[in-house]
Amino acid sequence: MAAEEDSGEFYLRYYVGHKGKFGHEFLEFEFRPDGKLRYANNSNYKNDTMIRKEVFLTPAVLKECRRIIAESEIMKEDDNNWPEPDRVGRQELEIVMGNEHISFTTSKIGSLVDVQSSKDPEGLRFEVLCILSYLTPLQDQAYLKNE
Amino acid sequence: MASGDVEAVDFEPEDDDLMDEDAAGDASPQAPLPKLKSAITGAASTSLSAHKKTKGRGFREDDADRHSHLASRDFESLGTDGGPGPQRSIEGWIILVSGVHEEAQEDDLHNAFGEFGEIKNLHLNLDRRTGFVKGYALIEYEKFEEAKNAISTMDGTELLTQTINVDWAFSNGPSTGAFKRKNLRF
Repeated sequence: MAAEEDSGEFYLRYYVGHKGKFGHEFLEFEFRPDGKLRYANNSNYKNDTMIRKEVFLTPAVLKECRRIIAESEIMKEDDNNWPEPDRVGRQELEIVMGNEHISFTTSKIGSLVDVQSSKDPEGLRFEVLCILSYLTPLQDQAYLKNE
Repeated sequence: MASGDVEAVDFEPEDDDLMDEDAAGDASPQAPLPKLKSAITGAASTSLSAHKKTKGRGFREDDADRHSHLASRDFESLGTDGGPGPQRSIEGWIILVSGVHEEAQEDDLHNAFGEFGEIKNLHLNLDRRTGFVKGYALIEYEKFEEAKNAISTMDGTELLTQTINVDWAFSNGPSTGAFKRKNLRF
């Protein structure tokens, strides 16, 4: 069980976006195998400009990410029963871990931090994203403090 | 090797929306290896080292709606001044504590880590579903020495009967060695 977590490739990308009266707003981040974390956030609300940040994470952090993902068992999920992306918005989750590669898409359900995961067919095991989203705001916060 | 890999990491801005042209769609092992649907790279993504079991709508759908916002080169980043080592954040140095007991409270971490210096920030993440600690915490110190001491003193010790690991959170360069990089050309 630990083998999948500790060895092999790891990549994670998450995107959530919608088009509303403020234009196309989205958030996307990417954990790359070499530790680079890229983050892009575009909100047209109040004419914010796009934020793009990147930073390198240590192997310790990636290892913890892999553990969390493995524990969430999201690699065992399937987006078959999840609502499809629609005009209102979409979410994408792409993960490579070990020899498995998932690429899920679904509609935007509330906001990222409002998602309560559950085990029903439409349950979205996105609690991992809530966790990971802590990493990006933290490093993002570190960047933004300078602006 | 490290600098060569950094070269490979940068990608062309034009290479976005990398939907594989011949999307097989199902998890058949005979299907062509799908590329990663992101802006990480173009040709290099076909060099995934092994057949992957694939799953998900993302491999099947039309790419028309895809937006790849990570394609641009215009990312702000903290400088890379040499090989992988700890990276300072704007206000201080952030360390990762993993293996945190699920019933740990912020006070437990303050008690354990407060002796190394003033803790400027502490994030103890909770599992949103269970309410228990997710298993890790991020702690920020102002000074490098404080963080370094916390790491060297606390790594591998016990907190609330559970062994914790402590390490830097941010690095100033790509990781090598910790991951199998043979055929990895992301």
